[in-house]
Amino acid sequence: MEKYDVAIIGGGSAGLAALKQLSNLRKQAILVEAGNKIGSKNVSGGILYSKKSKKGHVHNVEDVYGDVFLREAPLERKITKYILHSTSKDKVYSIDLTAAHDYESNFGYSVLMNKLNAWFADQAAESAQKFGGGIISGVHVSEIKFDEQRNTSIVKTDELEEFEVKAIIAADGVNSEIAQISDARKKFLPSQLYQGVKVVVKIPEDVINERFSLKSREGVAHLFAGDVSLNHIGGGFVYTNLDTLSVGAVYHFDSLLENPVEPYTLVDAMLKNPMICEFIKDDVPSRRKIDKNLPQEEQLRIRFAITKLIKSWNELRESYFSKGKRDERVKSGKYQSVEEIKEKLDSIREQLTQKYGVIFVTDYVEAEYSAKLIPDGKRCRMSKPYHRNILFVGDAAGRGIFVGPRIEGINVGIDDAVRAANSISRAIDKNNFSSDYLGEYYSSSVEESPYTKDMKQIDKDYLKIFLDASKDVPKDIISARYSTVLKLMSSDTIRSVAIKFANILGYERLLPMVESEDTYVKVPIEIAERLGKTVSKTYEPTIPSIAERIAKLKFNDDSNPHIKVLKPQSEFMKKLVTLCPTKCYSLENDNVILQHEGCIECGTCSQETDWKHTRGEKGIVYQYG
Amino acid sequence: MSELNVAVIIKLEPDFSEGSVSYNPDGTLNRAETKNTLGPHSTIAAHAAFYAKVMYNARISIGTMGPPIAESALQMAQRLSDAEELHLYSDRIFAGADTLATAEVLKTGIEKMQGKMDIVFSGHRASDGETGQTGPQTAWKLGFTFLGNVIDYKIDIQNRTITAKRLVRLQGFSDVVEEIEAPLPVFISIDPSYKPLFNTISQRLAFGKFQKEAKIRAENYKQYLKVFNVQQLGVDPKYVGLPGSPTIVYKVERIPRGKATRQAEVLDGSNPEHIRKAVSKMKEALAAMVIK
Ligand SMILES: Cc1cc2nc3c(=O)[nH]c(=O)nc-3n(C[C@H](O)[C@H](O)[C@H](O)COP(=O)(O)OP(=O)(O)OC[C@H]3O[C@@H](n4cnc5c(N)ncnc54)[C@H](O)[C@@H]3O)c2cc1C
Ligand code: SF4
Repeated sequence: MEKYDVAIIGGGSAGLAALKQLSNLRKQAILVEAGNKIGSKNVSGGILYSKKSKKGHVHNVEDVYGDVFLREAPLERKITKYILHSTSKDKVYSIDLTAAHDYESNFGYSVLMNKLNAWFADQAAESAQKFGGGIISGVHVSEIKFDEQRNTSIVKTDELEEFEVKAIIAADGVNSEIAQISDARKKFLPSQLYQGVKVVVKIPEDVINERFSLKSREGVAHLFAGDVSLNHIGGGFVYTNLDTLSVGAVYHFDSLLENPVEPYTLVDAMLKNPMICEFIKDDVPSRRKIDKNLPQEEQLRIRFAITKLIKSWNELRESYFSKGKRDERVKSGKYQSVEEIKEKLDSIREQLTQKYGVIFVTDYVEAEYSAKLIPDGKRCRMSKPYHRNILFVGDAAGRGIFVGPRIEGINVGIDDAVRAANSISRAIDKNNFSSDYLGEYYSSSVEESPYTKDMKQIDKDYLKIFLDASKDVPKDIISARYSTVLKLMSSDTIRSVAIKFANILGYERLLPMVESEDTYVKVPIEIAERLGKTVSKTYEPTIPSIAERIAKLKFNDDSNPHIKVLKPQSEFMKKLVTLCPTKCYSLENDNVILQHEGCIECGTCSQETDWKHTRGEKGIVYQYG
Repeated sequence: MSELNVAVIIKLEPDFSEGSVSYNPDGTLNRAETKNTLGPHSTIAAHAAFYAKVMYNARISIGTMGPPIAESALQMAQRLSDAEELHLYSDRIFAGADTLATAEVLKTGIEKMQGKMDIVFSGHRASDGETGQTGPQTAWKLGFTFLGNVIDYKIDIQNRTITAKRLVRLQGFSDVVEEIEAPLPVFISIDPSYKPLFNTISQRLAFGKFQKEAKIRAENYKQYLKVFNVQQLGVDPKYVGLPGSPTIVYKVERIPRGKATRQAEVLDGSNPEHIRKAVSKMKEALAAMVIK
């Protein structure tokens, strides 16, 4: 049997950071990832933060990857504006929360996980190779056996021969199988989770700059609460990427179970909001029906010709509306000048309209639909994130921060990963992998992380920023429940005392009060109705059906189902018929039936199923993430 | 120093994939318009050589006989096999060679490669009108044991032997896998169904490492390329090209196509009526089937 020092299971942002950090410490580690390509299984919103906390030291992404990170990593845009909108029909009231975004932060970049994780992987693999380690993708870990005598673990996979390691970092995400196999923790409960659903919308770079009044490579985050939530606890977001927008909806799982709606209707509610409609709109070619009287071959020829022309037009337009790509085309000699690109673009457009009757309409272009569960660290972080010689990091350890509209999982996972790598490096040096020397050390290191503090306590300075930002909101809107709280909070001196008292009560008791329908739905709607500006939409977006969305996704089909329904008649499973983001469940004769082919491995059904990720290389292959 | 030297002989062939291939009005191949690529069987041979690289850290050399543009095939094969040496045997005199004359050039070339070869791989056959004889004839000229239709192999470096699995297709019977052991050197013609398997972590790591190396090498392939004409290769002109070819293909006939007994019907996917028709046809077909 082959032997290695460390196995890292899962190649998301957390696992990759662990590999890089172990290599930085000159230690050997093997990272095993189920997806065929690194990044193909990961989904985020997402904004990647680097923090400078007053509460202690955090390990940031640039500490792990070095200066090259800011120079070369595929970061979309640096977020410089952060705005919260309360919505009700066509009314929107906006509050600038940039100060909250900047709080304790070095930077926040919008990112797409597919590209970013691929870059992380390149960096980590190159370092790891020097110490006899590396990344192995397309391999799914199925079992771990602990060897009591040797104090080692034997890792079994679906694809490779088993191998032995001294320590394991479980970075296998929110639906961690390693946590189940090892009995380290129970599955997360719906009350501890959020469901995130997202679409990526294509818009040329320069159009984004102009529409959102942004300088090149600058970005904005728009957050939404109110009627877009369709009465659920949570909210929506629109983040600007380089030449796409991420439009998402994140809702508390309990609130979805209470009032089930198809997850895509929550994104659709965002897309239909007049403000967002205007954000996402673009010039979109629309085909007319081909004359059915023409011979079949001729119809086919025309269809192909139009497809080809539209593709060329899209690609060229994307370059034309991007300074970098525009210059590149001219530099490569493909075009003499920018004007020539424009001429070519116009000529394709004319050909499409004149010759093929294509019309150009105002609409939007959706590139990808995705979904994933998100752990709420306040409610589900593992109190001791280890089991024997297995250390849990990131989503697998239930560590994510939800404070106000902000979601932080990527940066938290990276911080965990560094702490895990440091702990293992120390154990290797002393050849001591006992729970006391390794697990407990890691656990206390994580406990000291400022992120853990953010998951346990209210930060009064952060809260003050919110209060200051919303000072123009008339107090009477805010229901009786909040008025005393607000009074206490508004005074600088009393606030400290009040927060101390609140923190003694603990998040468990406070959360039902704060994370309520009042906060996310009723109050924002009232604010929007009373104070909001009217925004009118100039068109109605053509939103794809769920079938069209699934058809657009890439799957590497597996004939073996990776999920087994255990309770086909349970209330929970019946709700899944509605709550599965890709409609994998249906009800037949009072039994819930699974059709696994469209599964995007979000984990929403995991609670009452025998749930595994797909075998290596199989299943969903995201292009953006 | 590597303990195993491996050569691959490959061929640049017309790309028969859609969009690349072009035909003359009479149905023959339009060579000028058709793009060229590394032949599909050569591709498999390159994969088989890469297996030796990953498993035994073999040193790989690739040779081909062809016009100057055949260097693109060498580059493609290098990208797949991480070869350190590329040989192009290119001379007008070589033109018109049959399999025997080609084998003469390849044999001489292989002997000029660095190190004494332990294994030579060739594809099963070329896809543009060749009979699968170049391989065996080259083996014969080299004096190597010939192993055809190999689907898997293992090397015992110490004892310098190879164990290979051969797929023997017996017409009228099921296929048989024959396992044989032979002393090195051998000449392997690789079966089209060959698929390398890497089952351990260390193999996967080596695979990744050499794949990356291969990519970089192929980007700078000229650095590894040596071109030989008749003199440089030092072959006797009597044995190569047309003069060295005892066989001449004087006519290629198309086999007339049998009349189709099935009737195709084009249905339009956007028309629900058509879809219904397709479904009912499928139902009909399924109903007629007896499932045991
Ligand atoms: C809609 C949405 C918005 C979000 N917004 C933000 C944001 O703005 N900012 C932020 O910081 N965070 C955000 N998050 C959270 C953040 O995306 C996650 O916390 C983060 O991506 C988790 O990283 P990870 O490495 O822990 O897990 P993952 O990225 O889930 O990686 C786990 C990996 O393990 C692999 N794997 C699983 N099981 C096995 C196995 N048995 N064998 C081999 N491999 C396996 C999987 O294929 C996967 O690649 C958001 C999340 C969502 C869904
Ligand atoms: S089947 Fe389960 S894991 Fe798959 S997409 Fe549906 S809810 Fe998500």
